[in-house]
Amino acid sequence: MNDTLYVQLLDLACGAFLLAGVLVLWRRDLAAIVRLFAVQGAALGVLVAVLGVHDGDTEVIGLAVGIGLLRAVLLPWLLRRALAASGGAAGPAANRETAPLVNVAASLVVAALLALLAYAVTRPVVALDPSPAAHAVPVALTVVLIGFFALVTRRRALSQVVGFLLVDNGITAVAFLTTSGVPLIVEGGVSLDVLLAVLVLQLLTARIRAAFGDTDLDGLRELRD
Amino acid sequence: MSLTGAAFAVAMGSSALAAAAGAALPRRARRITAGAGTLAAGGAAGVAGVAAMAGRSWGTWLPDVLPLAGVRLALDPLSGVFLAVTGAVAVCAAVYGVGYARPGKEAAGHGPGGLGVDGRVAQAMVPLFVAAMLLVPAAASVSTFLVAWELMALASLLLVAAEHRRRAAVAEAGLWYAVMTHLGLVVVLAGLAAFAAEAHGETFAAMRAASAGLSPAVRGAVFVATFAGFASKAGIVPLHVWLPRAHPEAPSHVSALMSAAMVNLGVYGIVRVGLDLLGGGPAWWWLLVLAAGAVSAVYGILQAAVAADIKRLLAYSTCENMGLVLIGVGACGFLRSSGAGALAALALTAALLHVVNHAGFKTLLFLAAGSVLHATGTRDLDALGGLRSPMPATTALFGVGALMASALPPGNGFVSEWLLLQSLIHALPSGGTLAAVTMPLAVAAVALSAGLAIATFVRAFGVGFLARPRTPAAGRAHESPPSMVTGMAVAAVCCVVLALVPGPVAGGLSRAVAVAVPGPKAVTGPAADAGTLHLAGLPSTMSPLLIVGALLAAVVALAAVLRGAALRRTERLARRRARPWDCGAGPMSARTEYTATSFAEPLQRVFDDVLAPETDVDVTPVAESAYLVDSVTYRARVGDRVEHRLYRPVLAAVAWAGRAARPLANGSVHRYVGYGFYAFTGVLVALAVLR
Repeated sequence: MNDTLYVQLLDLACGAFLLAGVLVLWRRDLAAIVRLFAVQGAALGVLVAVLGVHDGDTEVIGLAVGIGLLRAVLLPWLLRRALAASGGAAGPAANRETAPLVNVAASLVVAALLALLAYAVTRPVVALDPSPAAHAVPVALTVVLIGFFALVTRRRALSQVVGFLLVDNGITAVAFLTTSGVPLIVEGGVSLDVLLAVLVLQLLTARIRAAFGDTDLDGLRELRD
Repeated sequence: MSLTGAAFAVAMGSSALAAAAGAALPRRARRITAGAGTLAAGGAAGVAGVAAMAGRSWGTWLPDVLPLAGVRLALDPLSGVFLAVTGAVAVCAAVYGVGYARPGKEAAGHGPGGLGVDGRVAQAMVPLFVAAMLLVPAAASVSTFLVAWELMALASLLLVAAEHRRRAAVAEAGLWYAVMTHLGLVVVLAGLAAFAAEAHGETFAAMRAASAGLSPAVRGAVFVATFAGFASKAGIVPLHVWLPRAHPEAPSHVSALMSAAMVNLGVYGIVRVGLDLLGGGPAWWWLLVLAAGAVSAVYGILQAAVAADIKRLLAYSTCENMGLVLIGVGACGFLRSSGAGALAALALTAALLHVVNHAGFKTLLFLAAGSVLHATGTRDLDALGGLRSPMPATTALFGVGALMASALPPGNGFVSEWLLLQSLIHALPSGGTLAAVTMPLAVAAVALSAGLAIATFVRAFGVGFLARPRTPAAGRAHESPPSMVTGMAVAAVCCVVLALVPGPVAGGLSRAVAVAVPGPKAVTGPAADAGTLHLAGLPSTMSPLLIVGALLAAVVALAAVLRGAALRRTERLARRRARPWDCGAGPMSARTEYTATSFAEPLQRVFDDVLAPETDVDVTPVAESAYLVDSVTYRARVGDRVEHRLYRPVLAAVAWAGRAARPLANGSVHRYVGYGFYAFTGVLVALAVLR
């Protein structure tokens, strides 16, 4: 792979990665949010694969395949299953993010501001090693911040799970972009953690719905001591 | 691999196997296999420790065990002392634990026979706890040390909480212990991390090399922080509050492990960091240590003297003995800073010898107290008594332990306290004005605590074991199973050997002392003359064997004289059989006996201002008469005044802050996540703007 192609592929993957993240804020339909998350997982897999092919590191390529499978196939499948279980129970309205704490238009503006912040903050990191991969670090940090923002402002348990996963996607991307490959054991541990967290959250969502007939987390306010 | 390394590896391997066996095997097999594994680990650690003390040092680096830094181990003579002590305590505790954890038939009736210590968690944690305590002195880098330290804290915390289903006090003790041990960890972590950062290296070797170049402020801050953390582990007043709660509530063999082995590691930390890594320091550091030790010694034994609970009494006695050890350590540092190397070495020898001796008798005493608890189901001295005929072995062994602990010849506590006093007394000419003020005070503290210790252990033994049973539960006592008696007997034999022939041990400590105080040997004990201690450069020698011989001769002579006098008297008077101690009246009942409370009352009265005991007298008159009394209730309690004055206000302030912060937590998940988000973006914005 020559350098131009490498940079273009890298930019394409990063662009898809960022766009999918921003669109998660835009869509209200939970099924669409899950689809976007799957797209982002695939983009992350491609991103890591491109880095691996460029470095000629087979371990990183193997990791890319694993990341792609986990984040583009397995986790979306789990989320879809949770969604299907709720769809039958509470009708189609339960499957929409009807009233986020910050509305969609404002969310998109905030996403833009967060992107600015990410670019401003990561300047020293980029200056440290001005390689094409390091130039993409702000994108990954933006996704972390957007995920965090989704976690704060979305009401449905499922969109919160997606927010959490966006944060994790972003962190993984930062790790791969700034270092020349994360050790297999570390990445394996992180992925296992994420899988476990999603399984727990899926279970929790089902329990919340069984108990309250809804997954609006603000309904839990009365549960404090 | 050298003998030291091989034995250490065997110790680690067998404790790992024992932990696995404790977690996996069925109930009956678990107890015996885990006990055997712990026994093997303790024995191997003892071998490794003695080999290291003999100068066969060993070190290794395992880069793959922990990420980033790896595990770095090194055994030098100083580590060896603590390794050997921990190993020996583990041997006794392991043998004892096999019988103690057995779910006896009394579990259904009275007494804590099952004790919840035969569960999987507790059985797996004992070997793990031992392994962690062996790793702490073997660690040779900050990361390894802290990991082992935390592992030790967590394993012991789980063991303290092992019986939380049985008694509510256990949960409270566990909470106190968890908070104090983690606060201790935080300050130790801060101190060592700052030290490692300033020294540009986290291995002990690098820190030792760089310490001389650090600024005095950094060195002082590191010392004070680590001293606070290590002192809280050693149970030094005023950081001792967890100790008299956690040690009594833990299962007894765990109490022995904690009180005889774990607290020592606090001393190890102070010696390692203060004397070895930082290479000594200004006099004020060591006067701080000495003062803390003196306060702890006197306060600890005073509380022990009035404690009603036998294990609480022993726990406070641990505070006292660690205080004595710190007096030695402080004197050593102080003398070293004033240039008296040989005396400093003598003080440290005394301190380390007291660590060894205290481990011996405290193991024995805690195990014997556990045996009593096992047999009667109570730890309250006022409810015990009359254990001599149903529990002869336990009574005899506790008697030996009490003698050893009371700092009188022929006990082993006497040997080390004598050495300590020698070093303090001889420090006077060399130390200048400061020494002239502090050393007599330290001598007074040691002497006062020794005197109170005698009263304490006379009371523990006399009231707890002799006379008549004060309650039916004490009357139903029975001797403990052979494994428990064996565990205690091993500890007792160690104590007696230490008491009679201290020469080899005291001489063997010289290499360990040389790690911390480079210089000549302080105590010599020629092989042919193992019973005598000669102090280098001082006109002092002591031979415990001769003292014991003289004591025996005096006792025999006195008995002979008395008997002769009695015989001559009976020739004149007709002989009449009568029960002793009855004052001529009928048989005495248990209600006329001294209780633990009444025995301690004069002492409590003398130290009234320090102890501030609380007494309640409720008089209920008959109907409306003011003079006819229906019933009188009397309640007396001696609380821990340090806890009351120092900790209660802090706890109240924390509780107030918690209540004040309640509106921040309104139950909304979004708000909680939002706090994180705003803080995170806020920091990022600050970074972006300020840079």
